[in-house]
Amino acid sequence: MAEREADIGFKKELVKKLLSSSFRDDDTKIGENAARLMAEMLKIFVQEAAERSQKQADSEGCDQVDIEHFEKILPQLLLDF
Amino acid sequence: MSTESEEMQQRLKAAVHFTAGRLCQKVGEEHRRSFSRQVIAAIAETAFRQSDIFARDLEAFARHAKRSTVSPDDVKLLARRSTALSIYIQNKSEELNQEQKNLKKKNTGKRKSRDTEDESRE
Repeated sequence: MAEREADIGFKKELVKKLLSSSFRDDDTKIGENAARLMAEMLKIFVQEAAERSQKQADSEGCDQVDIEHFEKILPQLLLDF
Repeated sequence: MSTESEEMQQRLKAAVHFTAGRLCQKVGEEHRRSFSRQVIAAIAETAFRQSDIFARDLEAFARHAKRSTVSPDDVKLLARRSTALSIYIQNKSEELNQEQKNLKKKNTGKRKSRDTEDESRE
């Protein structure tokens, strides 16, 4: 696909549905700009997970990033968000 | 638990998986390293569960401010744990505000010119 690379990210509608499904109160809504910012937050979260796993694989001299690399960086990742 | 909402959860999860996969692929291309299918699935699953935690925090923040709609300020508060992330989100928020201001200006400008066109026609 020749889609602009910089545009990979979560769609606003998806973020809205995702968050709304987790709200305890049905009356809670999410604003447009808040949804856009949350899309950015989730993108950073995934990118950070990928970058850190990649780094871990690099330090172990592996060509493929595997689940064991992700497992090692997961605790710190969760503490940072 | 109704099967309908479970189905919805599965669909949302699949959508998160799709985007997470593309993001991982991009990171992999930048570093000439591939991501295994399992690690992409694990990252997607983590992001999905993290979004649940995010949502509950956002709801609590909004409630604390006596609002029922989550605002950008709540998201800024959510990003408080990491300084770099917090600054990034704040900048992004300002960017969005600026964009919308410009958009509004453009629209009112257009409307005005259309109004004058109508007048001149009359």
